[in-house]
This record gives sequence, structure tokens and C-alpha cells, in this order.
Amino acid sequence: MSQATVPVLLPEAFGAGTTDADRQAAAKLREEWNAHDQSVRAQSFWKETGKRFLRNRTGVAAAGIVLLLALAATFAPLLTPYDPLLGQPLDRLQNIGAPGHPLGTDEQGRDMLARVLYGGRLSLVAGFVPTVAAALIGTVIGVTAAMLRGVVQTVLMRFMDVLYAFPAILLAIAVGAALGPGLTNTIIAVTIVYIPPIARVAEAATRRVVVQEFIEAATLSGASRFRIARTQVVPNVLNDIIVYASGLVGVAMIIAASLSFLGLGSPPPAPEWGYMLNSLRGTLSTTPLVTIIPGFFIFLTSVAFNLASDALREAMDSRL
Amino acid sequence: MTDTLPGPTPVDVPAPGTATLPKRPLMELLDVSKTFSVRNGGRRATLSAVDGVSLKIWPGRTLGIVGESGCGKSTLARLITGLHPATSGEMVFEDKQILANRRRPREVVEQMQMVFQDPSSALNPRATIGESIAFPLEVRRRPREEIRARVSQVISDVGLPASYARHYPHQLSGGQRQRVNIARALALQPRLVVLDEAVSALDKSIQAQVLNLLTDLQSEYGLTYVFISHDLNVVEYISDDVAVMHLGQVAERGPARRLYDQPLHPYTRLLLSSIPSLDPALSTRDQPLDRSNGEIPSPIDPPSGCRFRTRCPFAMDVCAERTPPPVLAEPDHVVACHLYTADENGVVPRGVTESVARRVAEGSEVDAAAVPEEPLPDPAP
Repeated sequence: MSQATVPVLLPEAFGAGTTDADRQAAAKLREEWNAHDQSVRAQSFWKETGKRFLRNRTGVAAAGIVLLLALAATFAPLLTPYDPLLGQPLDRLQNIGAPGHPLGTDEQGRDMLARVLYGGRLSLVAGFVPTVAAALIGTVIGVTAAMLRGVVQTVLMRFMDVLYAFPAILLAIAVGAALGPGLTNTIIAVTIVYIPPIARVAEAATRRVVVQEFIEAATLSGASRFRIARTQVVPNVLNDIIVYASGLVGVAMIIAASLSFLGLGSPPPAPEWGYMLNSLRGTLSTTPLVTIIPGFFIFLTSVAFNLASDALREAMDSRL
Repeated sequence: MTDTLPGPTPVDVPAPGTATLPKRPLMELLDVSKTFSVRNGGRRATLSAVDGVSLKIWPGRTLGIVGESGCGKSTLARLITGLHPATSGEMVFEDKQILANRRRPREVVEQMQMVFQDPSSALNPRATIGESIAFPLEVRRRPREEIRARVSQVISDVGLPASYARHYPHQLSGGQRQRVNIARALALQPRLVVLDEAVSALDKSIQAQVLNLLTDLQSEYGLTYVFISHDLNVVEYISDDVAVMHLGQVAERGPARRLYDQPLHPYTRLLLSSIPSLDPALSTRDQPLDRSNGEIPSPIDPPSGCRFRTRCPFAMDVCAERTPPPVLAEPDHVVACHLYTADENGVVPRGVTESVARRVAEGSEVDAAAVPEEPLPDPAP
């Protein structure tokens, strides 16, 4: 940290003085100081975090993979000439490295590279959207509970505990089955699964923040509780939530993949990685390498997300 | 004296001959109490943090409040500023009444600010110094230009370079952060500033700087301070009046000089004797005045009558039976102790004050018969 760049500021008698002469001398010192001010850089928390993150090689590599996957999924039409939904039955079950099909083809003769790339869109959306949505809702619930205390806190948090008591995948299946298959319903299901843990993290962080004296100072200035929550509390709990939520993206993709593996996700023939894994099950003995491709990408993406999240936690953790 | 305040006790009327005192206090506390409900070993219990405190805060002066840790000093600070609502009692700020458990009028809230103890937790770590100082002004919807001018004004008032507005709290030292805390308190131009252990977390040399800054600002802004500290030397240095607190009650209050020179209450005497002395001949280390080896009774179940009696070398039977009322022992000097017998006006005859004070100072027993060797048994009902 660049703490050393902060100069020692105050000469001994700075600002003190009981006589007018003393005070004038102090004022003069002050002016001189202002003139000589070396204009120390302001070290914002987020800037420092970014700097520390960039120094972590694993984190940068993982973030690079995530970025690469996101870009590849976004620009899929430019990267492959094939339609992910249209198969050539004559080219069924080509192995990896087959001419024209670098990742082979599936049981209907659809190009695997195209399906993986287009499928990345669905998987990344299914990973990101529920995490972000749950982070927003969970933060509101957690901060509200911890700031209002009393009955509101008890009711909100105990309800979260009830949801949290279910195993994540079971709750997702239950919600997904109740709502029916489809990407939107998968997103809703995963969001509901994620709200309780995020609310708990937000509540714990808020309880830690609200006992600090700057909250009392804000109260004394006459600010409303909502304003204090918005300007004083949320900026201080945000890093905890971001660190926690970033670790959830990978798991969200796995849950979404699991749902579509079970037939509760995007309906066929959408190239969802989880569904692809399911439909290729039968070809495990003929083209095993092709079969595990969707699984490999699910693994790669969620590991990359988790490593990037760990690096983010480390970068944010150091107490400034 | 044209005192329009409700129910002033005769005790609190400033005696003639104190011409330096303004006509009436900026703020007055009348029998203010605060209890918290706590869980004590699984059972619900009531913690009496502040009990029946009456104080006057004179404009332009500094009221020091001293006492041991846990005596309710910080709770009193939060009662004065309204961060905690009082359980009972009443406060008067200028001509505005503040009742227990009621919302404060906005005009009163605006006139008071507080400087907190811990310089590291008193500033929002995610906000720049400038944002922290500007926050109370933004809450009041002051125009942006005015806010900017005011922020750089108070930053330079507390002796920091104006460029520090862009910095974050972690870039500053403890002393600088405390200056920022003071700057934030001044931003709204309050009349009353409550300083809760404001220099306790600082080094001695920085303490001196900040104390000097505080006295400078007081004369510059015409501020009134309530200065709360456990550090007797610091309180003596900065205070005009001092109130000594023990277990939520005010044991003694009076002008700082007189209270330090001639403590009337046995507890004040005990506190002052705990100041380390450079002269070994004056050391009291080997003759502790405290009968209970420093064991402070719990505020959850305080002793009956006088809360100091279990530690008091002068404890009498009456101490367990009745809470000593505050009596006027000398002009402006109020003491709550049964040793000082007052007349019907609540005024202690001059001779009594002098002789008792001398005995308290010598630590001798007032009445051998009234002071048993063993600690007092609980008063039988």
C-alpha cells in the first residue's frame, strides 16, 4: 500500500495558539503548507482493490477466461458458420478433430463448437442474471432487517432461514418444477435459491456497520434512516456482498445446467450445456470425448468464476 | 434572577457574586434517567445507566464530566445529543422543552453535534473527508456552493490543508482524523458540542494539539462544550465546570478549580487520589481509600441509597436507607453526600462544609461509631 506517500503533515504547533500572534503564525504556516501541498493522490477503495486484483496472476487469468468465454458467446455467429439447431444427419457422431467439425458433432449431426458457443450465452445468462437479481433483493432484505431490528428483523431473517434450510438444488428443482421449464423460470428458481444466503451476508455485514460511530454521527445530522442506509451503510456492506455473490455465479450455472439436465431448463433443442450433457449420454461409449465437452465447459466456467471471486476477496479484504 | 425554567430547585440557583455566569444555562437536564433492559444470565434485568442526573450547561463554557469506565458518561452524552431517548426526566435547551421519549424539535437537533471517541470508526471509510463533512450539510439541503465553501472553511479551521477533502480516512493519522471529526461537528455551526472521550485514543502530544485546537475553536465560534473523559488531568485542563459521575449519578459538581482543589465528595477525593503523583511523599498507592478493592458495584443491581456506600470509608447507616439529595455546599458547588447536612433550603452551612471537607481530605473517619469495620450489611426491610 502506498501509505508511505502520505507526508507527515502537522508541525508541532500547527493550529494551536492562545494569542493572536500565535494564531497568525499558525495561519501563515497553514498557507505555506497549502502552497507546498504535494497533492497526495486520493486512494479510493475501489481503485486500490482494482490495483491489488491486477497483481494477482491467478485472478487475472481466471477473469481473462471468463471474459474470453463471454466474448466468444457474444460473437458466436462470427466464430462458427454452423447453425446450432440444424443438424446434418449424415455427419452424426463425428469425433473431435473431424474435418469441418473441430469439436465433433452430436447425435443429430449438429456442430458441437457452434452449440457450445451459442450455449455459452444461455449458461452465462443463467449464471449472471440470478446472482445479480438475488444480490439486489438479498441486500435490500438484509440491510432492512438489520437496520430496523425487532420484529421486522426476526420475521425476515427467520423466513430466510426456512428457505436456506432446503438444499439448494432441491429448492431449485421444486421452484423450477412448480413454474415449468424455460430459461426465465430457471432464472427465477435460482434467484429464489440465492436470496437467503445473500440476505444473511448482508444482514451480518450491516449489523457490523451500524454499531460504528459514523452511523451515530449521520443520525445526529438529522438524516433519515433510508438516507443513512443508502449513503452510509450500503457502500460499506457492498464489498462483502460482491465477494460472496461472485462466488455464486459458477454454482448458479451448475444449478441451471442441472435443471436443464433434468428437463426443467431451456426446452430442447436449445443448446444449453446441461441439456447437451443429458442428450449426449447415450453416445458415451462411441464418442466419449465429445460427450464430455459440455461438462468441461461447465467446469471451466465455474472454476474460472470461483478463482476470480477468490482473487476479488483477497483484493478487497485488506483493511485500508 | 428571572428564571423561567420549569421547576428549578433552589440548589441550582447560581449564588450572587458569580457575575461571570450568563443569566441562564444553554441546556439544562432535570432528573434525567436512562435504563436499558438487558439479559443477565438468561434473566431479564434492568440496567440503570443514568439515574436522576440534573445538570446545567452554561453557554460559552466547558462542562467536564469525569468518572470511571461504566459510570454512564457515554450514555449521558447520548442522552444530551438525543441519540438515546431518556427513560424519564426532562431537558430544556434554551427555551425549548425536550420530554423523555419524545421526538426532539428540529431546531434543537441542529444546535448539537458530537465528537466521537474512536477516530477510526467515526468516519465512513468509503467516503472522502470532504464527503463526510459535507454530509450533514447535504441533509439540510444547503446549496452546493455554500457546502463547498463551508467544507474548506472548517477543514482549514481545524488546521488541515484544504486538499485533504479529497482523501479517505485511512490515509490520515489518528490525530488528523480526530480533527476531521471536529470539523464535521462544526460544519453545521452548532451551539453545543458534546465531546465523548474525544482525545482518549490519541497520543499525549497529539492530545495537547487537539485540546489547544478545541479551546481555540471555542473562543472563535463561541461554542459550548460538554467534555466527557476518564482522564482527570485533561478534564481539569479544559473544563470550567466539572461534574463527577459515579454509577449513573452525579456525585459532585462545581467549578473545576475549586472541585480539584477541595473535593467535597469522598468519591471525588478517591478519584483525585488516583492521579499518579510525581512526588513519592504524596503517593497514595499504599493507602488505598477504596474499601472494596476497586470493585465497582454493578449498575444492574446498584446498592440501595447512596450508590457509593459500599466503597465509601465514611459510610453510615443512613447511606443505605436514603439516596443523598444534591445540596449546595458552596456557591455553585453541589454535592450529593449524607456527610453534608443541609438546612431546609438545601444549603449546607459554611462551617459544616469546611469541617467535613477537611475530614474527607484527611481521609479520617467522621464518626467512629457510624463507620463499622466490616462492610455495611444490607439494610433489613
